[in-house]
Amino acid sequence: MKHYIARRAGYSLLSLILLSLTIFLFIRLTGDPTALLTEPGASEEDIAAIQAKFGLDQPLWIQYGVFMGSLLRGDLGDSFYYQTPVLDLYLSRLPNSLILAVSAMAFSLLLGIPSGILAAVKVGKFWDNAGKLFALLGLSLPSFLVGLLMILLFSVYLEWLPSSGSGGILHLLMPAFALGWYFAAAHMRLTRSSMLEVMGSEYIKLARLKGLSETGVIAKHAFKNALIPVVTLAGINLINMINVAVVVETVFAWPGIGRLLYEGVSFRDFPVVQGVVLIGGAMIVVVNLLVDIIYAIIDPRIRLEK
Amino acid sequence: MTSITDRSTEPGAITRRAGLGLFISSLLAGQSLPASAAASGQLNIGVHISLAPTWFDPGETPGLITPYMLIFALHDAMIRPMREETPGHSLAESSSISPDGLTYSFKLRQGPTFHDGSPVTADDVKFSFERYRGNSNALLKDRVASVETPDARTVIFKLKEPWPDFLTFYTAATGANWVVPRKYLEKVGDAGFKKHPIGAGPYKFVSFQPGVELVLEAHETYWRKSPSIKRIVMKVIPDEATRLVALKRGEIDIAYSIRGELAVDAQRTPGLSLKIAPDGAMYFMYFPEQWDPASPWSDLRVRQAAFHAIDYKSINDALCLGHCYLSSSIVPRAFEFVWQPPAPTYDPAKARKLLAEAGHPNGFDAGFYWCDSSYANLGEAALNNLAEVGIKAQLRPIERAGFDKGFTDKRYKKGIIQGSSAAFGNASTRLSVWAVKGGAYTYGSYPDIDELYPKQLTEVDRAKRAALLEQMQKLVYEKHMFVNLWQLAFLNVAGPRVAEAGIGLVKTYVYTGPYEDMALKGS
Repeated sequence: MKHYIARRAGYSLLSLILLSLTIFLFIRLTGDPTALLTEPGASEEDIAAIQAKFGLDQPLWIQYGVFMGSLLRGDLGDSFYYQTPVLDLYLSRLPNSLILAVSAMAFSLLLGIPSGILAAVKVGKFWDNAGKLFALLGLSLPSFLVGLLMILLFSVYLEWLPSSGSGGILHLLMPAFALGWYFAAAHMRLTRSSMLEVMGSEYIKLARLKGLSETGVIAKHAFKNALIPVVTLAGINLINMINVAVVVETVFAWPGIGRLLYEGVSFRDFPVVQGVVLIGGAMIVVVNLLVDIIYAIIDPRIRLEK
Repeated sequence: MTSITDRSTEPGAITRRAGLGLFISSLLAGQSLPASAAASGQLNIGVHISLAPTWFDPGETPGLITPYMLIFALHDAMIRPMREETPGHSLAESSSISPDGLTYSFKLRQGPTFHDGSPVTADDVKFSFERYRGNSNALLKDRVASVETPDARTVIFKLKEPWPDFLTFYTAATGANWVVPRKYLEKVGDAGFKKHPIGAGPYKFVSFQPGVELVLEAHETYWRKSPSIKRIVMKVIPDEATRLVALKRGEIDIAYSIRGELAVDAQRTPGLSLKIAPDGAMYFMYFPEQWDPASPWSDLRVRQAAFHAIDYKSINDALCLGHCYLSSSIVPRAFEFVWQPPAPTYDPAKARKLLAEAGHPNGFDAGFYWCDSSYANLGEAALNNLAEVGIKAQLRPIERAGFDKGFTDKRYKKGIIQGSSAAFGNASTRLSVWAVKGGAYTYGSYPDIDELYPKQLTEVDRAKRAALLEQMQKLVYEKHMFVNLWQLAFLNVAGPRVAEAGIGLVKTYVYTGPYEDMALKGS
């Protein structure tokens, strides 16, 4: 077991190193940030001074070395744009992203799971077709469009909700819906397919043969088992909601991590983009590592695999 | 000694305008604050960009206009763009320059205080200059031999050698003359200052939530005038459409940067009014092949044809609702030493005639039209006009940073380049970068212009320098090195509660200001 955990941890570390190298190089492919830190027509001296200040005049391998050195000390560097530590920025935005992500997740599960069950139970009938339409719209309508349509309806025409910003529960409703909408569709689809798979299994047939009511079969036997992959997906989606709600947070001026990433990309703020991507990546890697370990505990065959 | 804001032609003389400026400044310095009702109400501004704490500190001013949105509220400077005059005396009551151009003296006005109640002193001015580390820092400080403060209200800058652009850099192109409190900064340090900045400006810092909002409160003993609005809240709303909705719903009172069709929508909405800041960046066409004898662009008549081919007014009406400023010069109208050439004229018949005379009766293929993708719409409109007279080119929009890099690396040797500049400075600094040999953006130059450039750079006699710079600008225009398309207007919208949005009141400044002049209806 120890060897298995060590091996998985090694893979996780390697993944993070590769991620750091990838994001370090890819963000630099977008161009020189100094052009966005000055007005057009800035003097060469000013551009050179900015490059020197942020170490951008150094060769790439030195910049990467400095970045990794700081990372090992727990320092993600200072934002070019805000000129404050990236970790401070991240932590200041994290509560907002958590609130939004948890709300959006609650909404997506409350909508996605019941509609998925209904579609699976009524397969081929009206509710199944309605569910398919919902999934199609959820997965294909871009969140910025959903967001803007909601602003138009609820803020401009009905005047029920504030158009943007953060503060109270009313501010949260539209961004949570716009963010959760896509994930609700994904959860609905997975719940439906998982339920259909479970409903066709032998133990469900046995339960029915034993004379259990259909509601009892669905609620007690099918639903619990069908829920496992949905919960696993929801866990990963929650991390995605926290870190990459870029469009929704921008449209609704929600001050979370997604918008921080948007700002980082907009201003070629390399340390911010690197920091946000790495923390998000680390969250996913750690979750996957924990899942691997749990699987290995549950099923000893896994840890014996080479 | 001559006053620094003096625009006279004779050394030592004071013109009516400069005299009036000094008189106004002295008058304001001498009088007590106008009796007014206590500040009241709250005004919310929807800003288009995330506010960065580094902008609270004028000592770190980068080469961007945006930080001045905050600096004008929180801080004050010795000389700066004022509503009455640009540049005008602010914390400085008076100023002078020695005949040899080596000594610049400033006298602080009596009375201004920082937000913590401590007086603004000469020592704070010196400290602010010395701690400045932002844009053009080395360029400025390398030329200053010493800063002396013989008493609490006098500051004297001594230069190593005459440098006529000292004031341009000290008061406009850098943040070095914005005054911060020495004692407070030494107590809290740079990081502490960014968390809770204290300045001498019309508004005090209250709170800041990164990415959310900045709250400011009136500095009721501000020397120029007590602000009438008690509280100003800057809310960050990056999406333009959302910003306009927030304004329509009354969640904010001013929305920065509302463009194109959204601006038309705002204009049509009862209660909303468009507020224009006209002094944005210059946008122009540049012909890098004009020095290549084999190119059609080397013929002056072809460049003149391009000048007459552009329907400036229609483009301005379509893209900028007619609010951009149309001029034939790449030097902004508010810059020192600017010379205004004749206004641009749209005359396609004349353009075709000039092309025919140049040996291109059927026009020619100009290759690519390189531009920053953010302003590809302007390029597209210009290209359509050029095509109408026979100059055909393909639009090549490139993302801004890549475009700038390609421009300065001289990669666009063929075709037409749509240049732009929002850099601070004066006519000399603008020409040095774009029109003179060795400039960052110059693909070639003309000897007669190059010859004049170093002469004006060291000319301490202001009138003579102005004449040299006028001559340079005339040559640039006559040669049609550039075809200026417009000076961009910054479009903003104010809501029904706003009596004075303060936009466009101060020349060269595009955001709200003076903050102390802003007012809500009934306040």
